[in-house]
Amino acid sequence: MTATAILAREWGAEIKKSARQPAFALPTVLMPVVFYTLFGITLARGDNAASYLLATFGVFAALGPSVFGFGISIATEREQGLLALKAVSPMPGFVYPVSKLLMTFVFVAIVLAMIYAVGIFAGGVSLSPRAWAAMIAVHLVSVVPFSLIGITLGYLMTSQVAIAIANIVFFLLAILGGLWMPVFTFPGFMQTMAWALPSFHLAQLALIAQGMVKADFLWAHIGAIAAWTLVLTGLVAWAVRRARD
Amino acid sequence: MPHSVSPVRLTGAVKRFGATLALNGLDLEIAPGGVTALLGPNGAGKTTAIGLMLGRLRPDAGEALLFGRDPRDLAARQRIGVMLQSAGLPQQLTVMEQVMLFAGYYEAAMPAAEAVALAGLGGLERRRCSALSGGQQRRLQFALAIVGRPDMLVLDEPSVGLDLEARRALWTTIRALRDRGATVLLTTHHLEEAEALADRVVVIDKGRVRASGSVADMKALVSGRSIRCLTALDDAALAALPGVRQVSRSGRHVVLLSEAGEATMRALLAADAGVADLQLTGAGLEEAFDALVAEAA
Repeated sequence: MTATAILAREWGAEIKKSARQPAFALPTVLMPVVFYTLFGITLARGDNAASYLLATFGVFAALGPSVFGFGISIATEREQGLLALKAVSPMPGFVYPVSKLLMTFVFVAIVLAMIYAVGIFAGGVSLSPRAWAAMIAVHLVSVVPFSLIGITLGYLMTSQVAIAIANIVFFLLAILGGLWMPVFTFPGFMQTMAWALPSFHLAQLALIAQGMVKADFLWAHIGAIAAWTLVLTGLVAWAVRRARD
Repeated sequence: MPHSVSPVRLTGAVKRFGATLALNGLDLEIAPGGVTALLGPNGAGKTTAIGLMLGRLRPDAGEALLFGRDPRDLAARQRIGVMLQSAGLPQQLTVMEQVMLFAGYYEAAMPAAEAVALAGLGGLERRRCSALSGGQQRRLQFALAIVGRPDMLVLDEPSVGLDLEARRALWTTIRALRDRGATVLLTTHHLEEAEALADRVVVIDKGRVRASGSVADMKALVSGRSIRCLTALDDAALAALPGVRQVSRSGRHVVLLSEAGEATMRALLAADAGVADLQLTGAGLEEAFDALVAEAA
C-alpha cells in the first residue's frame, strides 16, 4: 500500500477512535455549541454580540479537539506503548502525527460548521465572503499552536497529570484569552495579561478578519502567534528527544 | 521463505543509560530460521538488546543491523513483526479494524481474517478491544505481529497474561510459523517456554552474552554434572579429568561442568584424596540458567 493509502486508513481509524469515545467527543463538540448559543444568542447584549462571539468561539472550537484529541491522545498512547509498537512497524513515521492532526481538523470542522449555522440562522450573522474566508482561515490555523501545547504537556508528564493540567490550560486559554466573553469587558490588568496568551491573539485575528476590531495590531498578533508556534515546536522537539532515550 | 542475510546482527553493542551500563559490548547474531530464546535475569539487557535491533534505541558504540540494514529502514521493518511487552491497543477499535490497519503496512500481508484465526481470535472479529480479556488482547497483539507474513517475528514475553491452554495454542502457532521458514526471536521468563520452543538459547547477563547453544547444550553445561568441591588440584589438572567441559572457581570452591558426572567424580577422588565439601547437582534448563547467571555474579 502507498504511504498515502496508509495515511487515509489511519486517519479513518483515528476518527473512529475519537468518535467512539463519548468522554472526548461530547464535550469537545457540544461545549462550544452550547456556550455560543448561550453567550452569543440567548444572553446576548448589543447588536453585534452574535457576530463578535462567533469569531472568538471559533477559536474555542479549535481548542478542545487540539489539546485533548491531539496532544493528550498522543500522551496516552505513548504511555500505553502503542506509539512504540507503531514506531517499530513498517508504517512510515509521518503517518502517526499527520493522521491525528487530520482527525483533529475533522472534529474542528464539524464544531465550526455547527456554530456557524447557529450564528447565521439564530444570530443573524452576516459577513462578506472575504470576511468569512479570513475568519475560517484563522479558526483552522488555531489548531496548530493548540495541538503543540497538547503534545508538549503529553510528552512532559504522565497522561493522568497531563489531563489534569490540560484541563486547567484549556479553561485559562478560553476564559482569559477572551474566547467566552469579550476582553474589553475585563478589568484593566486582565486585559494586559491576555496579551501573553495565544488564544487572545487568535481571537483578535478572527475579529480583525470580520472587521470587528481595527487592524492596528494585526502584525503584533501574527508575530505573537508565530513566536508561540516557534517556541512550542522547539519544546516539542526537545520533549520528544528526551522521551526517546 | 529462505533468506540468507542474518536477520539480526549486533556487534560490540554498548548502551548506557545515565550511570547504568545496560549493554557492555554485546555480540549477537541470529541466523535465518528457527526459534531463538533470549534469556536473562531482570536488568540483564534483553529489552535494550531488542530496542537496538528494532531501532528504538541507537547504540552508543558498536553496530546494530536488521537484515543487513539500519533497523530504522522501512525496508528492514517490512520483514519483521513485533510483539512488545506492553502495548495498550486502542480500546475503541475492533479486532478486525486493528488487524486490517497493520496488514496495510506490509507488502506481503496475509488476509486479516487468517491472522485473526491463527491468533485464536476467530469469532471475535467485530469485538472492540475494550471488550476483550487481557489474554485476548495479548493474542490480538500476536495477530498484529504475524499479519504481515514477516521473515522474522520478535516476541517480547509473548505468553504473559495467557492461561496454560492459550499458551500452548500460541506455541503451536509459533512452531507452525517456524516450520514455514520464519525466524523467531523471543524473550521469556518461563524457562519452560524456552524449553518447549527454542532451537537455540542465548543467555544474556550484565549486558553481554554469557552462553548460547541448543537447549540440550545448555542443559549439558550442568545437567546432573555440576560438581562443586574444595580441592588442592590446579585448574589444568581439573580440566584434564574425564568429561570436564569447564572449570571455574567461586571463592575457595571449584565448580566443574562435566558431561559425565560419575566418571569425573571417580577420577577426581582418585587424583585428590583430600577433596572436601563435594556436591553434585543437576537438572533442567532452569538450573543451567541459574548456574550461568550465578557464575557471572
